[in-house]
Order: sequence, then structure tokens, then C-alpha cells
Amino acid sequence: MTVAAGIGYALLALGPSLSLFISVIAKKPFLILTVLSSTLLWLMSLIVLAGVWRAFLPLKSTTWWPFVILILTSISFQEGLRILFWKVHKRLEDMLDAFADRLAKPRLFLTDKMLISLAGGLGHGLAHAVFFCLSLLTPAFGPATFFVDKCSQLPFFLVSAIIALAFVTIHTFSMVIAFNGYAEGNRLDQFFVPAVHLVAGMVTLVNFARGGCVVGIPLLYLMAILTMLHCGRMVQRRLSENRS
Amino acid sequence: MESSILDLIGVEIIGVMSPVSICMLLVVLIVYSLSPSNPFSAAPAPPIRTAANLVYLESPSDSTAEKFEGALLNALVFVIVIAVVTFFLVLLYYYNCTGFLKNYMRFSAFFVLGTMGGSIFLSMIQHFSIPVDSITCFILLFNFTIVGVMSLFSSGVPIFVRQGYMVALGIFVAAWFTKLPEWTTWALLVALALYDLVAVLAPGGPLKMLVELAQSRDEELPALVYEARPTVSQNGIAQGRSLDLLVGGVSESGSVEMQTVSSNNLDRNESQNRVNSGYNVIQDTNFGNMEGVQRRDEVERSQLVGFLEERRSSGSSSSEYSTVVGNRDSEIVADEERSPLVDAPEMRNGREQMRDGQENSEVSSRGIKLGLGDFVFYSVLVGRAAMYDLMTVYACYLAIISGLGCTLILLSVRRQALPALPISIALGVIFYFLTRLLMEPYVVGTATNLMMF
Repeated sequence: MTVAAGIGYALLALGPSLSLFISVIAKKPFLILTVLSSTLLWLMSLIVLAGVWRAFLPLKSTTWWPFVILILTSISFQEGLRILFWKVHKRLEDMLDAFADRLAKPRLFLTDKMLISLAGGLGHGLAHAVFFCLSLLTPAFGPATFFVDKCSQLPFFLVSAIIALAFVTIHTFSMVIAFNGYAEGNRLDQFFVPAVHLVAGMVTLVNFARGGCVVGIPLLYLMAILTMLHCGRMVQRRLSENRS
Repeated sequence: MESSILDLIGVEIIGVMSPVSICMLLVVLIVYSLSPSNPFSAAPAPPIRTAANLVYLESPSDSTAEKFEGALLNALVFVIVIAVVTFFLVLLYYYNCTGFLKNYMRFSAFFVLGTMGGSIFLSMIQHFSIPVDSITCFILLFNFTIVGVMSLFSSGVPIFVRQGYMVALGIFVAAWFTKLPEWTTWALLVALALYDLVAVLAPGGPLKMLVELAQSRDEELPALVYEARPTVSQNGIAQGRSLDLLVGGVSESGSVEMQTVSSNNLDRNESQNRVNSGYNVIQDTNFGNMEGVQRRDEVERSQLVGFLEERRSSGSSSSEYSTVVGNRDSEIVADEERSPLVDAPEMRNGREQMRDGQENSEVSSRGIKLGLGDFVFYSVLVGRAAMYDLMTVYACYLAIISGLGCTLILLSVRRQALPALPISIALGVIFYFLTRLLMEPYVVGTATNLMMF
């Protein structure tokens, strides 16, 4: 029974990205490699951040302002890393195009570029879900569950799985938006992504208040849906432009 | 719609990575389900004494210095044992005792599948209370083992079965290795990575000697090696080339003169440059990219430059065989060490030959090969990480896979047998300790306050 619960939590957090992986990514080996390398990049960013913050840990769970600084620094570092990732991605695209020329194959289609950015985003999202939700899930397989004081309505594992799902969505689609924004030179999109990430991170701070997760999680999902809608509209626009 | 370029790249990398991933996943599952932390299996089993801890038997009460010293000694002894056994096997191979070696491999595979696999199955049966009577269990195990042994060196068995048994062997040995005490495991992994580096790359290293010997004899090594074969033989030329070409693209992306030639045969030019710079002039007359056209050109050219061509093709055919590598130097009593070694066939030469239209049988011997030892020790690392936490498992998995990717890319640049352990093990160990020491308090601290980003 508890095993079922543990698997349920894991699937709750990772189910959508798993189906995305199987239906889209797994068919193209190159995309799998992209997912892996982007996951590794996110992991390294996490390790660097953890190394910087190691001296100040553990933070007292009564004061909230250190957490604000922590989340601010973490998000700004990761957004900086996204620009780096874009530069690498740009070079990779050129390389692939040169390679395609040599094989007398068509160059990368627009959809291919979007797939690569989707895979990159999925890697980030997966890494988030794996390290913030899945790795804490081990006790959930045992014969007990765990509640945190501040959000006593739901088991901790369930809450973290729900939050992780929102973040997976945000990470996955904001990478598509960001890369497209960089490619088009669209200022709005370039700032949309860090803003969404920052707001989403700040919204989790609401959880710090007692019972705050009742408010925080719907707000978080609002951000996730906003990201998805924006991404969907943008992709539709690009595709129809491309076709005409 | 034409298939886009994304479909072609990375096929062989994934072909090697997926069995490694499967192997690691299963080892982690085995370690998890059989670890003594669950309430049903009470006292931890008494420590086993093997070749890997001949000198020093770790006990939790020892001081850190004692553990460290003992672990180093253990690792040293183990590596020495392996080196001696490897030299012995190389000696046997040198004196053409191939039959003996093959039977020895079969026997050890039988032993591993039967006893180690059997004991793992037994503990599974106990742990999950599977209702099986002993006779059925014995017959099943015997059949499983015999099929495994037969699939090792015979060509009649489907490659899928063979790959499956290779992975199974890796899993059994790795699951068994995870029973070693912690410090010894880490020291052992690092020592083996270093040994691997020396044995494959240093002149006079046993594995290097073995590979060269097999090259000069044009025969397959009697070794336990995983072959990522089917993808190559099914989908033919394009996939075999893709990694090659991509890396070619990397190495030449800086050079402008190459780009300006603007023909489809840049890569060919480049490869020819490496093989024999004298081909340049002739090569520039080749402009098609269709294989048929190519072949005709090739024939013409070979008439033009018959002598050189012949010389080169003889050279390439010998190196074609050389690609079979891996090996295994193991000793049953001293547990199994399978040669940590990756090898890729010389795709370039293979391609040349394919265009010459002479090779059909040789196509099947292409594909990246990974020594079974790499499977084992990657999985040992991940299994050891699994005893701490899931977080370290993910970190180690990513590190090892990326290390493997680096090795494969290096392989297509260097085109010689390369040790697969050092990069991956180094990354894995570094990531393990970074995760354990730095990341865990950070992640747990933020996540338990329900703060994420």
C-alpha cells in the first residue's frame, strides 16, 4: 500500500513529463542527449548554489528573510545560466546545420529547433522534480507519512509532488519561450521567463505562513498555466508565420 | 517530409547508454529491495571475505584512519591480483590458447550466473515470499544459466539475448560487489579507474597488449564485451557515420578553408587527409553524395590510384578487426574484473570499405563495444550511492552517463581503444561527495519548508 502511495507521488510529479518524454523525446536520440545534458547543467547549478550557501545552513525556520535572499540568488543564478545555455544551443544549431549540409539533408526545421528547446526545458524540469521531490520521497515508501507544521492539510510528500509538477511545467515551457525570444530578439519574451520564474519562486514563500499553502499552490498553478498558455500562443504564431 | 537531421545523431551513444542505464537501474532496485534496512531481514549478514578485502576487514568501530589505510591496502591488493591475472591471460592469448580462454570464460559465466545469480534469486524469493518449490526453481535456474553460457561465444544466438545476458552478468556481479564495506568500495573504484587508465593507455599495459595482439591476429578477443550492434546493422550507413560526422564538425568548425570548399564531401576530404594527404587532389573531383555515385567514383579512383588504394584498404581491414576489444581479465576466486574498456570500430575505415562494396560480413562487426567491467563498476558506484540516499543516486547516474558520453566523443576523435572507467568514475565520485556534503542540507532545508524554485 505504501509502495503504491510512493509511486503515486512520483507519478504525480513526473507523470506529464514522462509521457512527454516517451511520446516526443524518446524517438530522437539527440533529444535524449539534450535532456541529459540539460539535467546535468541544472544539477551543477544546484551544487554551486549549495556550495555557496553551505556556510549559512541550516537556516532557522522561524525567520523568513534569509529564504527570500536564498531564492533570489538561486533564481538569478539559474537565469544567468539559461543565457549561457542559449549560447551553447546557438552554436549547436550552427553545427547541426553544417552537418546537415554535409549530409545533403534539410537544415533544422523550426519544429526541430523548438523540440531541442523543449528537451532542454524538460531536462531542467526533470532535474527540479528529481532533486526537490523524488529524492525526498524515499520515506514515502515506508510505512508512515510525514506532515509539516505549516501545511498540515496534506502530507508533505503530496504537497511537494504538487509543487514539483507546477515547476516542471514552468521550467519546460519557459525554456521554449526563452529560446524563441532570444532567437527572435523579442524583449518581452526574454523578460517574461525570468519574471515567471521569480514570481513562482516568490509564491512558494507564501507557504512559509501557517496554512499558506492553501493560497500559495493555486497561485503557483496560475503561473504554470500562464506559462503554458503563453508558450502555446507563441508556438502557434511562429508556426503559422512559418507556413505562410 | 524528409527525416530531419535530429533522427540521425546520437544513435550509437544511446545504444550504449541505454543498457548501462538499465543495468544501473536494476542494481539500484536490487540494492533497495534487499538492503538490510527493512525490518524483515534482521541482522546484517556477516562480512564476506573475498579478494577485494583480503587484507583488511572493515568494522564500524574502527577509526577513520584505520579504515582509510585498510581500504587503500585492500584496493592495492585487489588491483595487483587483477593485474597479475590479466598478464596471465594475455600470456595465454599470446601462446594461442584461445580455446582454453573461451572455455574459461564460459565456465566463469556459468559460475556467475549460477551462484551469484542464484543467490540473488533466492533472496528475492525469500524477500517477496514467492511460492516456488526447490525443484522448479533449480530447473529454471539451470536453464537460465545454460542459455546464458551458450549465448556467449556462439553466433547462432540472437544478439538481443546476448546483450541481455551481458547486462544480467553485469547486474549480478555489481549487486554482489555492493556488499563490500563502504570505504573499501570507494578505494577500490578509484584504484580500478587508475589501473584502467594505465592498462589501456600506457605502453606495455596488459589491456593494450591484448588489443594489439588481437589486431595483429585479425580475430575477436575471447572477452566479455557488450556490443551495441543492432542499431548499426539495421539502419546502415548513415547512423554509423553520424557520431563521426558530428565530431568531425566540431573539430573543423574553426577552420574556414574547409568550409569554403562547399561540397558535400568535406568530411570525406577530411578523413582522407588523415589517411593520406596525397589523396586531396583526387578527392576534390568527387562531388556527389549519393552512394551510387560514390561507389562509381570510388572504383574510378581505385583504378587511378590502385597501388595506394590497395595499400590503404589492407591497412584498414586489419584495423577493422582491431576494433574488437574489451576483454576480460578475471579470476573466479578473486571475483570478476571485466576489462574496463571501450572501443569503437574505425568507422571511417569501415565506411571506406563499405563504399568499395566489398564488405558485408564486416558490417556486422561494427558498433561500439563496452567492456563488461564498465557495466559492473558503474553499477557498483550507483549501488553504493543508493545505500545513502536517492539524491546521490541521481547525481551519480548523471555524472556517470555524462562521463560515458565524454568517453564516447573522445573515442571518435582518438580512434583507439580507450578506458571507459576513469572519466566516469572520477565524475561519479566527485558528484557523490559534493551531493552528500553540499547539496543535501541545502535541498532538504529548502524543500522541507516547501520552498522551491
